[in-house]
Amino acid sequence: MQLSKFPYLVQKEILDNMTYSDLFLLSFVSKNMKNIIKSSQATRFRRIGRIVYEIDNMDLWNTNYRKIYIPSESNEDVILRCWDMSEKLRKDYFQLNVSGRILDFEYITCRYHMVAFNQCNKESVFESIHNYFLDFFGDTVKNQWIVNNYMPYFPRLPNLSLILIFWGTGNDKGNMKNLQKIISSSPTMTHIKMSFWEANETLKPESKFYQAESIAIQQDNLTVPVNLGSFQGRQTFFRCNTCRNFDLIEFVNRWKSGEAFQKLEHLEIVIDNDDIPINRILDEIGVKYIDATKTPPTHTLPKVYFETVCKPNTYPINAHTYVVRETDNRVASISIQEKTLSFGVWSETEEEFLAMVK
Amino acid sequence: MSSTEQGTSSAAPAEPTTAPESAAAPEVPESFYYVHGKDKVVHKVSAGALQHSALIHGMISNLGYTEEQAKANPFPFENIDGDILQMVVDWCNQHKGKPTPPEDTNLPKQKEKLFDLVLAVNYLEIKELLTYCCKQVAMMVKGKSPEEIREIWMIPTDAEDEAAEKEAKKRAGKEAAGETAAAAGDAK
Repeated sequence: MQLSKFPYLVQKEILDNMTYSDLFLLSFVSKNMKNIIKSSQATRFRRIGRIVYEIDNMDLWNTNYRKIYIPSESNEDVILRCWDMSEKLRKDYFQLNVSGRILDFEYITCRYHMVAFNQCNKESVFESIHNYFLDFFGDTVKNQWIVNNYMPYFPRLPNLSLILIFWGTGNDKGNMKNLQKIISSSPTMTHIKMSFWEANETLKPESKFYQAESIAIQQDNLTVPVNLGSFQGRQTFFRCNTCRNFDLIEFVNRWKSGEAFQKLEHLEIVIDNDDIPINRILDEIGVKYIDATKTPPTHTLPKVYFETVCKPNTYPINAHTYVVRETDNRVASISIQEKTLSFGVWSETEEEFLAMVK
Repeated sequence: MSSTEQGTSSAAPAEPTTAPESAAAPEVPESFYYVHGKDKVVHKVSAGALQHSALIHGMISNLGYTEEQAKANPFPFENIDGDILQMVVDWCNQHKGKPTPPEDTNLPKQKEKLFDLVLAVNYLEIKELLTYCCKQVAMMVKGKSPEEIREIWMIPTDAEDEAAEKEAKKRAGKEAAGETAAAAGDAK
């Protein structure tokens, strides 16, 4: 069977039915083949939202195992697994020239190939793989490196953004030191997720932590240890045990005056222990109302980062209440329902926003 | 061509199975057409089964044959081997008037047969069967190394591609030179 004897459209149909992992390996067969894949799969590759480098679930405590995959709402399409070369390579291993560096590959179970390498070379290995992906899948695809739970290694590569995921700080001062170290040495972080922040120490307002594009944190309250007031990014998801009304009011007033949160697009605060006193807060922040008989526009946008099998967009805000920023007349829909305050900033001015009300 | 009744009846489903029709539907006599491949064996196929093939369906629509004319003029597909055409006819009969399932496991496992089937199905424009075939071709290289893929799909190396390209350029140059010389000769 000679693939080249098939008409182009048949070749394309065959390639359409191949996984990313198989296309990746096929691209090493010849330069011509790589070009055929790139041209026939251009539309499919353009639809790839991001490529994620994450610790492999096979061994969560070993940073040396990593998988590279394309996530979607329903699954992870693994392209490659990366392994420490601590064990002897199997006899059927093969070598490939990946962006100018010869890497060892072998076939493992679960239908995937893995690249095996010595940990001393990891920086250059990941650089080669990353560069190959940029050329193969296109440089418009986002590449995200996930640093899990205080394992501070990440390669410093262009077009590779950083996601920090911590399960908790614990009370261990060593963990906090590690966190500070990772933050201070990182490029700007795309997303930080902290499952539960229980450390006593707080972060200084000038910490690079607050420059992350998106944060998702669960902690005791809104101001300690991560202070919502210092946040400079686009999206934030806070979950607190308790919250002072004053902090919520101050947050909205600072946004309205244009004094802070200029880049903010979406905020969600869930207070676990108390219901939010809706009327009192709405009164104090000088909220405006849309006629109850009319339908307000719905605010939702793509999340900066979402985990596989999670919703890719922010929770829709469909509120009859809104506030207006004094400096540029831009609107934010504000919704308070039981324990949740949602805040969605529009790119429209008040007049444009009201024109969308039906 | 030797279109014989023997050929018609011996060529697998001479009388194609008809899909069960609902009791309420009016009885419409089914029309049949005839096709043959490289081996000249004629296959009688119902218009319903042939609807899978956009090429044959188009030919039928354009010709407006009566049954007698269709019998006397089987559609010749000289570029398709007899056993491959038989597979295609069987598939069209099996899937006549039915929604196609997401997978088809009855496709040939041998590489060369599958290759010929893909070419035939592409030529006859049978979209669903082409999709099944292409899936099966894609599965042949699942989990294989690049060298194994090269062997299975007979993909030339970079050096072979370069040599072929040089050869093609050389040939094109010679042909162009030949044409120029011929044109000069004509001018004299």
